[in-house]
Amino acid sequence: MLLFRDEEHVDRWCEARDLLRGAVITLEQTWRLARGWYKDKLKPDWRRHTLEETENLLRSSGLTTPFWSLRG
Amino acid sequence: MTEMREDPGSLAHDVRMHVFNEAAATARVPQAPDIARALSRTEDDVRSALHHLAASKVLILAPNDGAIWAANPFCAVPSSFRVDVSGKRYWAICIWDALGIAAALSARAIIRATCGDCGVGLVIEVGDQDLLRTEGIVHFAVPAHHWWDNIGFT
Repeated sequence: MLLFRDEEHVDRWCEARDLLRGAVITLEQTWRLARGWYKDKLKPDWRRHTLEETENLLRSSGLTTPFWSLRG
Repeated sequence: MTEMREDPGSLAHDVRMHVFNEAAATARVPQAPDIARALSRTEDDVRSALHHLAASKVLILAPNDGAIWAANPFCAVPSSFRVDVSGKRYWAICIWDALGIAAALSARAIIRATCGDCGVGLVIEVGDQDLLRTEGIVHFAVPAHHWWDNIGFT
C-alpha cells in the first residue's frame, strides 16, 4: 500500500500501470490498522492475528466493503 | 541433531525475539550471521528458523539471497518510508508499516514518505496516541484476501 498526495495522483498511478483502482483510505484509518496490527509485535507472547481478529480490526477501522474481505 | 530440528518453534522463537528486539533497539535489522553469533548457533540453524518464520508470515525474506528484507514493521534496507523516532532512523516497506513502527515502539515519530505517483515529499507526525499531522491518502491496490499472494507488491 502506498501513500499518495491526493486521489488524482492515485488515478494517475493506476492508469500508468494499467491497474484498476483499489481502495483509498485515510491516514487515520491506516493508523488504526497499524496500531491494532503492530502494538504487540515486540512482546514475547506475540502471535499472528487470527482471521476473525483481523476481520474485527478491519471492521473497527471502517473497512467493510467486499474489497476488505479476507475470505475471498 | 540440533535443537532446531527437534523443535523448530523453540529456536524460531529465540530468533524472532532477537531480530525484533535488535531492530527496535538499534534501528538495524540483524541478518543470519549476526543472529547466529548472538545466539551461539550455526548459520544453517538460524537460516532454517528464518525460513520457518517467513513461512509463518512473521517476517519477509528477500527472494534472491534469503536475507531478511523486512521484520515487519521494520525494513532492513532504506526505502521510501523513513521513520524518525528519538534520534533513530528506521525504514518501512509501506505506509502501514511506517505507522506500525510508531505503534510497535509506542513512541512519537516523524514519518517522511513520498507520493507513489509524483515523488513529492509527505510528512506525517505521530503523537503519543494520535496522528498530529497528516499529508496524503493511502491506496491499497490489492484486495485483502490477495495481500499475501505477492506481499512485495501489496
